[in-house]
Amino acid sequence: MAKLDRKWVVLCSAAVTAVYAAGYFSTEDEAAKTTLRQQPPINIQTQADQTSLSESKNQSKKSLYKNGTFTGMGENRRGSIEVAVTIQNDKITDVEISDFAMHYSESDVVGLPDEVLQNQNAQVTNVSGATYSTEAFQDAVQAALDQALNI
Amino acid sequence: MTAKKWLKTPKGYVTIAMIFYLLIASFVSKDIAGIQNAFVAVFVSVIVDILCRIVKKRKWSMPDSAIITGFIISLILSTTSSVGVVAGTAVMAILSKYLLVYKKKPIFNPAAIGLLLSILFFHSAQSWWGAFGDLPAWTIAFLLIGGYTITNRVNKFPQLFAFLGVSFLLLLLIGYFNIGDEVDALRPPFINATLFFGFFMLTDPPTSPGKDKDQVIFGILTAVAGTIIYGLFGGLTYLYLGLVFGNVYSFLKKRSASKASMNRSDVKKNRSLLTDR
Repeated sequence: MAKLDRKWVVLCSAAVTAVYAAGYFSTEDEAAKTTLRQQPPINIQTQADQTSLSESKNQSKKSLYKNGTFTGMGENRRGSIEVAVTIQNDKITDVEISDFAMHYSESDVVGLPDEVLQNQNAQVTNVSGATYSTEAFQDAVQAALDQALNI
Repeated sequence: MTAKKWLKTPKGYVTIAMIFYLLIASFVSKDIAGIQNAFVAVFVSVIVDILCRIVKKRKWSMPDSAIITGFIISLILSTTSSVGVVAGTAVMAILSKYLLVYKKKPIFNPAAIGLLLSILFFHSAQSWWGAFGDLPAWTIAFLLIGGYTITNRVNKFPQLFAFLGVSFLLLLLIGYFNIGDEVDALRPPFINATLFFGFFMLTDPPTSPGKDKDQVIFGILTAVAGTIIYGLFGGLTYLYLGLVFGNVYSFLKKRSASKASMNRSDVKKNRSLLTDR
């Protein structure tokens, strides 16, 4: 088995790099769209309480969070997770993973919403070893809670 | 063999590269958990390798391939992996080397099989941190330098170029026809994984073919199978599963060559018997 001539190594390397570059640049728009899609929305309050203005003002003084369902996105280099967090009277009453786009199995984080309900905050324990999914989930819940802050 | 001579062997080259990557990735990410995992993976791999050799009554030799397997496992598994997951992955990898064999040589790349089974059994998180998956893109230069040196040393450029070329071409086509999510595969940490895999796992001499033509087919097969699996299912198993196809091709090729050579020697024997009569 003879060694591949250096000239061929250079030529093949250049050809492979060209194909890679073509793929990379042709998907730049798509990559940018994905990044934009993954930006947390400014405010998504989908199910706010129908309260009178005075009650609302009164509540805003007392409560930490607004009532309603808020979505948040957590992402890292391994993908993204979107959650919908429902808050009633400063209590997290429901957490749902509305979009799971990690490159790991969704089963790794299936128990985390219950943990948030138990702890009543975004902190969860990484029992499965799925660090990246857990981090993305925590960030998503925190982003949703930040949206809900009554400021 | 002296240490100086060993360092010049392909295994010596790969071991140095793995240690180098381990240190760079740990230093830049300021995390020594990966080094601790490397100790566990290498230690367990060597112990299991020695035990398997004793059970199989094989003659003693330096467990350098087990050391490499341990390093590769520790560089791919997330640094937050538990000791149990790291050790379990190493055990499965080394066992595959002794159980799935043809003529005492492993059929499948041990590290790839161990890591694949690790996902299936332990749901292990694989970050490819040692391939600089979490570091700035310029660190890929280290992969290219080490990878080209080793690929040149083991004469595996045909399969490397076939694998990378076909993988990138298929991803380009998927992007052009908009039929899948190829965006991630061309960017870190996935591109780091593809390069690390192509340079250090695909080129494993016992589990890949030697002839240029076979190398090209092997590279194409691995790339096509892996990219189709990535396009259909995503996830992180696509590289290993692609390599399984390539390894099976390499095994079948070796087996058919061995059978053909046995048939030739049988014909020669029969002819000599006939002429003797």
